[in-house]
Amino acid sequence: MKVQVNRTVVDIFDGAQSQHAVLRYLVHRRLAKSLLKTGRIQDAWGHDIGLDAPLHEGQILKFKIK
Amino acid sequence: MKKLFLTLAAVCLLASAAFAEKKEVHILSANDMHAKIENFPQLAAIADSLRGLYPSLLIISAGDNRTGEPLNDLYEIPAYPMVVLMNMVGFDATTMGNHEFDSGAKGLGELMRMSTFSYICCNLMPAPEVGVMPRPTQIFDVDGVRVGFVGAVQINERHTPDTHPDNVVGLSFTPVLETVEKYRSIREECDAVVLLSHIGYEDDVKISAELPWVDLIIGGHSHTQLAGGEMHNGILITQNTNRLERVTHITLTVEDGRVVDKKAENIEVATYPKKNKVVEEVVRYFSDNPEFQRVLATLTAPMTSYEQLGCMMTDAWRVETGSDVAITNTGGVRYDYLPAGPFTVSDVLRLDPFGNDTVQLELTGQELKDMIIATTYNDTYGFPKVSGIICNVVFDKKHPEKIKELKITNPDGSKFDLKKTYKVVTNSYTASIADSPRKDQGRALNRTTASIIQEYLEHQGTIDYTGVQRTFQSVSKK
Repeated sequence: MKVQVNRTVVDIFDGAQSQHAVLRYLVHRRLAKSLLKTGRIQDAWGHDIGLDAPLHEGQILKFKIK
Repeated sequence: MKKLFLTLAAVCLLASAAFAEKKEVHILSANDMHAKIENFPQLAAIADSLRGLYPSLLIISAGDNRTGEPLNDLYEIPAYPMVVLMNMVGFDATTMGNHEFDSGAKGLGELMRMSTFSYICCNLMPAPEVGVMPRPTQIFDVDGVRVGFVGAVQINERHTPDTHPDNVVGLSFTPVLETVEKYRSIREECDAVVLLSHIGYEDDVKISAELPWVDLIIGGHSHTQLAGGEMHNGILITQNTNRLERVTHITLTVEDGRVVDKKAENIEVATYPKKNKVVEEVVRYFSDNPEFQRVLATLTAPMTSYEQLGCMMTDAWRVETGSDVAITNTGGVRYDYLPAGPFTVSDVLRLDPFGNDTVQLELTGQELKDMIIATTYNDTYGFPKVSGIICNVVFDKKHPEKIKELKITNPDGSKFDLKKTYKVVTNSYTASIADSPRKDQGRALNRTTASIIQEYLEHQGTIDYTGVQRTFQSVSKK
């Protein structure tokens, strides 16, 4: 399924959680994977969501590096 | 006469206004607790404090009470500790989350029989043969105020909640919105109506436009952290992130048979300064789980390398999922030595402690080769461990982190077909970091990789990985 992290569309396995999409995003952007632990994941409305939040096709995530 | 009639009418009007007294309904709601039993002493203390102020407090869960904590999930009766603790805290009701089905219909039925709280879910059809008998709705009388609950669980394109398909065999589900709509008549019987939803925040917002007869949506599933509650289409929606970091105290003010005010505030659970000592003692009892010392298999010789333990892990995933090939990032193998003797549940959880999901993909030989290379570059610990293939990798002498050549063969030494399609299994971490091109990104099997290793060891009985090696690494001469 395709989800959007910031401005990047990532293709990730069905049943993935938010952490998996952000990991793929970090790898794609050549950023340190450890940022996953310190950054904030938010939904399209700007609400914080957990690392293991379930995802669906077309979901928009924002990842903010602290 | 006319004057007397008007006077009497005015008196009646005033009297009825005086009797239309405002009443408050207090609800403490949790969602997606995912078996965070360590936070239950604090949760119980919060419930005790609120019950002191509001004796008719309702305690409600929006589902996914279980799964995510080995202490709970590996109990002799999976999820039994959560049911006991929810009973102790005094939960009144929960809806079904997709993870409530993680030990199958029979397992769920068994837990439902042990629960002193009710399960409200209108889009799950009752299955009396396995004891799964949810209520579609429930009405609570809170000091004379009738509060109706309708429950609903998320369903995917396969028309089942997100769990392993085997877990919902014998159960049937119906679409959320059209099923909830069937229970609209509850509005006529109640002063306040609550949708107890495990469908996720985005769908809660969408559905709110269709349900003007609902006052409140207590939501779950998407682990969305709301600042108390949000109003959408006149409906208050609440939800917190998962693992009992926070709960929500909701206040509905009811006057003359309708809700005239609604508000919600979050309460921090993990850092709450008080604990219920009795609940704390029960959590301690469950934490000392003898299940962790259960022997799954016997090792006839010690395992002495990451390679051997990685081979065993990937064998487990490949065999138990009926796949052709399995790979794991080497960082997913957490120790390199295990003495001969018993291989216990605790040993498995130390070896594979991350709670990774199992992901199955359909890949061509070339796509698999590219995925192995991508895993090597993106995992800090180097070349992955494999099952179902043999890998000879040559790293570049000038750039030691770069792979100069990767030759894959079948286990019998024959040529590996790069055009053939293989069923490949891996963990969710490897599937995420391997950003190589492939047509199929795979699908989660909704089973942790650790639980599959346990299953494999139990099926094997005895294991010996002496001399087993499937990855051979060298450096180029130039």
